[in-house]
Amino acid sequence: MVNLALLRPEFVLSALALALLAADLLTPPGRGRALDWGALASCAATLALVIAGLACAGGHLGLGTLWAVDPFSQFLKIVILGSAILSLLLNLDYEGIPVRHAGSFSGLLLLCTVGMMFLVSAVDLLLLFVSLELVSLSSFVLTGYERASPKSNEGALKYFIFGAFAAAVMAFGISLFYGEARTTLLLSLGSPLGPLGLLGLLFILIGFGFKAAMVPMHFWVPDAYEGAPTPVTAFLSVAPKVAALGALARLLTALVPTRAADLTLLLSILCVLTMTVGNFVALFQRNVKRLLAYSSIAQAGYIMIGIVTADAMGTQGVLLYSFVYVAMNIGAFAMAIALAEDRRRYAAGDPYDLSAFDGLAGRSLPAALAMAFFLLSLAGIPPLAGFIGKFYLIGSAVGTRHYWLAVAAVVNSVVSVYYYMSIAYRMFFVARQREAPRRLSMGVSLYGSAALALAAVLALGVLPDRLVAWVQASAKFLP
Amino acid sequence: MTLAHYLFLGSALFIVGIFGALTRRNVIGILMSVELMFNAANINLAAFNRFLAPAGVTGQAVALFIMTVAAAEVVVGLALVLMIYRARDTVYAEDINILRG
Repeated sequence: MVNLALLRPEFVLSALALALLAADLLTPPGRGRALDWGALASCAATLALVIAGLACAGGHLGLGTLWAVDPFSQFLKIVILGSAILSLLLNLDYEGIPVRHAGSFSGLLLLCTVGMMFLVSAVDLLLLFVSLELVSLSSFVLTGYERASPKSNEGALKYFIFGAFAAAVMAFGISLFYGEARTTLLLSLGSPLGPLGLLGLLFILIGFGFKAAMVPMHFWVPDAYEGAPTPVTAFLSVAPKVAALGALARLLTALVPTRAADLTLLLSILCVLTMTVGNFVALFQRNVKRLLAYSSIAQAGYIMIGIVTADAMGTQGVLLYSFVYVAMNIGAFAMAIALAEDRRRYAAGDPYDLSAFDGLAGRSLPAALAMAFFLLSLAGIPPLAGFIGKFYLIGSAVGTRHYWLAVAAVVNSVVSVYYYMSIAYRMFFVARQREAPRRLSMGVSLYGSAALALAAVLALGVLPDRLVAWVQASAKFLP
Repeated sequence: MTLAHYLFLGSALFIVGIFGALTRRNVIGILMSVELMFNAANINLAAFNRFLAPAGVTGQAVALFIMTVAAAEVVVGLALVLMIYRARDTVYAEDINILRG
């Protein structure tokens, strides 16, 4: 069955993204930022389409030739669109994007989003590869979008070199897998894979590992994140990660289950490495973008627990933590942008230095409290949303007798408290720098984005029932 | 010519590509090595299609997609290299090092 109608939201968003790119050529120079609102509206319209699909029972679910639109992919699509909307909001108050061709910036961001929406629905290696490349190619360009900044150029080039290498290895893996299975469709695999197929699967994992920044494939992360325009960093640190881990969860839970290929040991080693390296290197960072980059590596490690255990609770944990992670990480980046834009005005040097946080509580108590909530949630301190997500993931590790994974996750959470709280310490107990103005001035849309994220973190932490019920209904794969 | 010949060629190209990508200092050289790796995948796909599943065309179709994606990849890569070259007059990987830590 072709069932193209299932992909209506993706088609609408791609058409709107291409329309934005065309509109950018026709907009008078200097007015390109007006198209940012067009991009926001396109994302909102697509989100409405996906939610409308959820509302009409069963009407918009089904299998196509290369794709499966099921509750799992619908949930992740909503999360991805939500993170695109929040990042576009961050971009409204960000000054670094060159005014000329600002419209193609949002067009590329939308195309990246389309790629991720395809990725979480893919059940065929061909669609998986092409959509992963759509995400990668547009994120390379987005990373290098601040053409005047040498850091942005360099971050993009490093990202590109690693990305191209990983994509080539993945393509080779797909060819080996095809040789074993005689097909690229992943729906009909029952028998255990032979050595050729296993090797292919490992190579395909490298492609995913690159996108999700698993540890041996993480070297590009800090450089690309530091160099990229900060709204792009916020976007790249959540959406492609969530999409790649979601697609990986589908691949390893439903399409190639452990009876076909047992990768549990390898994955759990990668998972522990990812958590540990991310957290321990984050301890030594002075730049808030690099600190959040390493912390996001560690966060991906937590999500991987759900992929290793591959039971119902693990899959729910992956979905729940993805949702929560988007809110808290984008919130933290919103605060980082606000402080950096402020610091640019009074001090020279790196605007993202951690000392920008000094004495924030005295300058703007709401901003300091919001940042503290995001950090506490990232660290997984109880009443907040991050704790609920970690509770599910660690619970599934204990339930499937992966005790050492659970222990590693708990130890890592404790380590992460140190560096998250060192930012909180600067905000509340260090005096503000002498040149810093008495009040923090912060753009309206940064406020909006941070407020949305904060609402999600607090509401999910205090009243998680609705979200948990939705997640439990969503942790279903179609085939 | 049997399947093994083609697979040998594919694997050799892949290994040459990996070796080049890991050892080249010139970014353009890395890009060329990555292209070799993509082509290794294409040879494998076409050979598997011809010898193991001659009734279908999946392998060839995937190879076509990989070619397209590889071409797009090169376009983006060369644009980034050009941008760096204009700003810094170098295409050597070890000179591109302001981000570290």
